[in-house]
Amino acid sequence: MSTRLNDSILIRWLRGILTNKKALAGSFLVLSFIFIAFVGPFFTYDPNAFLDTPLSPPTFTHWFGTTGQGQDVLAQTISGARQTLLIGFCTGFFVVVIGALIGGISGYYGGRVDDVLSMVINVFLVMPGLPLMVILASWLPPGPLTLMGVLVLTGWAWNARVIRSQMMALRGRDFVSAAIVSGERNIRIIVIEIMPRMLSLLASSFIGASIYAIGAQVGLEFLGLGDVSTVTWGTNLYWASNDLALLTGSWWTFVPTGLSIAFVSFGLTMINFGIDEVTNPRLISERNWRKLLPKGKMNDGITPVVINHD
Amino acid sequence: MTDILLSIRNLDVEYITPGDPVCAVKNVSFDIARGEIFGLVGESGSGKSTVVQAILRTLPPPAIITGGEILLNGKDILSMSDREVKKFRWQEISIVMQSAMNALNPVIPIRKQISDVLYTHKGYSREKAHQRIKELFDLVDIRYDRMDSYPHELSGGMRQRIVLAIALALMPPLIIMDEPTTALDVIVEREILFKVLELRKELGFTILFITHDLNLLLEFTDRVGVMLKGELVESDEAIRINSGGQHPYTKKLIGALPSAAGPRRKDLLPRPEQFKIGEKPLIEIHNLNKKFHLSGFIRPKMLHAVKDVSFNIYPGEIVSLVGESGSGKSTIARLIARLIPPTSGTIILDGIDIFKSEPRSASLNYRRKVQMVFQDPFGSLNSVHTVFHHLARPIIRHRLIPQAELYKYIIDMLETVGLSPGSLFADKFPHEMSGGERQRVAIARALSLQPELIVADEPTSMLDVSIRMDILQILADLRVEKNVAVLFITHDLASARYLADRIIVLKNGSQVEHGNSEELIQSPQHTYTKQLIAAASPGWLKKNLLKTNENRDSK
Repeated sequence: MSTRLNDSILIRWLRGILTNKKALAGSFLVLSFIFIAFVGPFFTYDPNAFLDTPLSPPTFTHWFGTTGQGQDVLAQTISGARQTLLIGFCTGFFVVVIGALIGGISGYYGGRVDDVLSMVINVFLVMPGLPLMVILASWLPPGPLTLMGVLVLTGWAWNARVIRSQMMALRGRDFVSAAIVSGERNIRIIVIEIMPRMLSLLASSFIGASIYAIGAQVGLEFLGLGDVSTVTWGTNLYWASNDLALLTGSWWTFVPTGLSIAFVSFGLTMINFGIDEVTNPRLISERNWRKLLPKGKMNDGITPVVINHD
Repeated sequence: MTDILLSIRNLDVEYITPGDPVCAVKNVSFDIARGEIFGLVGESGSGKSTVVQAILRTLPPPAIITGGEILLNGKDILSMSDREVKKFRWQEISIVMQSAMNALNPVIPIRKQISDVLYTHKGYSREKAHQRIKELFDLVDIRYDRMDSYPHELSGGMRQRIVLAIALALMPPLIIMDEPTTALDVIVEREILFKVLELRKELGFTILFITHDLNLLLEFTDRVGVMLKGELVESDEAIRINSGGQHPYTKKLIGALPSAAGPRRKDLLPRPEQFKIGEKPLIEIHNLNKKFHLSGFIRPKMLHAVKDVSFNIYPGEIVSLVGESGSGKSTIARLIARLIPPTSGTIILDGIDIFKSEPRSASLNYRRKVQMVFQDPFGSLNSVHTVFHHLARPIIRHRLIPQAELYKYIIDMLETVGLSPGSLFADKFPHEMSGGERQRVAIARALSLQPELIVADEPTSMLDVSIRMDILQILADLRVEKNVAVLFITHDLASARYLADRIIVLKNGSQVEHGNSEELIQSPQHTYTKQLIAAASPGWLKKNLLKTNENRDSK
């Protein structure tokens, strides 16, 4: 008995992503941040220790300078990455899992089940996310789990909605009917037959949700709604603002953290573009097509005549 | 030499892909004389629609034209400037598309859609446009007071006539018709083609007609071009194509066509000798009804898709449900496969009324006994799984075969449906196979549970004409080898005639006629069946044209 995985569409996608320039660049960026977050803290100063004159600009001992409390900015940026990225990716994961579960069940079964679950999804969609987030975060005991809970609670509904409509579209396809006719159980149809078909959607949902989670988390902590005693990118910015970094012109206290957030989001977005191009080859075809057009000509609905192209 | 209107010389079209460009049309050349009807026939993907869109230069990205000439009245369309292309488009060549519902804008009254053309190209005044629209409506036999209707208020045939009127609006010398009747019923199709021929006689335009239906082309056109994989393999007078053609592919196309009329051909799907159909009904269907709720919040609408349908199928019998789209035949298939519940009615399988007295475990048992083959082999197989998975899952679910023998059993199944060597196909993914191979896999999957009834919902309609008969042959063989009954659902009376023992004709959800297939074809009772058979018989168009001419003369 043999099952050949090599040419399965999933493996082909993976291979495509591994050879896609955008996805590669994005992955390199994100993975290097994860790597530094993981091993970096073993090589830097203690991020909480008072080390030097407060607010001193970058020097050879402190590459990124020091904060208002005399802590090393490089050490803070690196160890801040740990919690921020961990919470970001975990939130992304749970948002997709809950979204897939509720959206998937809602879209697959339809009828009454869909009526009830759709209503729940809609309630969460119309709830104003940001104020709710602020209220919950200030009311619950501060800490990473609280942050994650709040972010998942306010973020899952949109994903559920998207996955639900994708599920409804796939539900009507003949391969699902064929599985039903062969006597397959519903749960198996959802997990084994349908979910693999949604993999690109799930992957890009995960990435989108992670970007959202990192941004929202940093925002909450910046407002002082996180645990200010921990070191994260959000609290770094919170302390920078508390120490009047802008007024004193000590740019080095917030620029490294800010750039890190921007780079991680950029890297994730590049991965998303890569997934898009791999699962929808038409995007690349049309880009190559545009290159063949005479200079300055746009797509105006008239098929171009290109003789002797290579 | 005759007067050439359109001349295509060595046309090449490529599609840009992430890898190497794909050649969609290779070195195609043909001429169309003024006033003639030229037909282009080919299977899906053969490039016939690409040729048409290249003529109008409306191919969407990522297509490019890489070579050749398209001369209309001696002027090359491919070397025109963009402004000239836009001007010539409706002025010199217009097009009638396949789906009138998509060609017309649903939120604009049809009058405005016609006048738009007149304003843009001719700069007509309001009154003048009005006058012209009136003439056009007269031409296509639509009452003038319908001109403020929206497309959805018209029937399919009327919509297609409106599209025809728009195509005629500027009186272009050439009209392209890209599968103009494929979405219509046979009877309406007849009406439309009839109208086209009449108009051509009156107005004298030239027609380039595209279809996958060779039967229709041979009726309708003067000359025919046959396309295969982007190349024009043959182009000749329709009469000569009809008598066999030169190219082996054309020969295959002609030979593959069963006909609904005339005496039965002996060489196609011969009736099995010494085969006995069981005497006790395998499945009894009584007064089956299905109503669908349509949208509408205040006044919910109902669609009565299946009305009081009753019939029996005996073990080993092939019964065919024949009807146009919308006749409810696919709904019946889904009801019998238990994909949707009926509104009322009973289905009795092996003496058990499945909706009433069915024990809990019996539903799985029903699934084993009644299997289904779907219309679209591209959609009914899951692209992420291998053929082996598709066949193995049902068997594992029903614990039919011990694990150790599973692989061998599946290889056997694949070879039964003509996929040999089976071990090669077991490891394939759907995208690595042709449409015909996929449909064989779908049949093997249905067969792997050793069912007593296979519901086949238009199993050949998405396949290329040249391999349709092979699939029908598999179904015909199966019932002899495995004694499995088949409910064959189709819109094609001819294939029903050759495959089935009995035919049930459906119209608007009701049974119209029911009988032994050969008797029903030879002596239909109901008017609707008669119309269907007449429309599917060779020579119907010419016969009808003669008739109208006589009528005219006698007037």
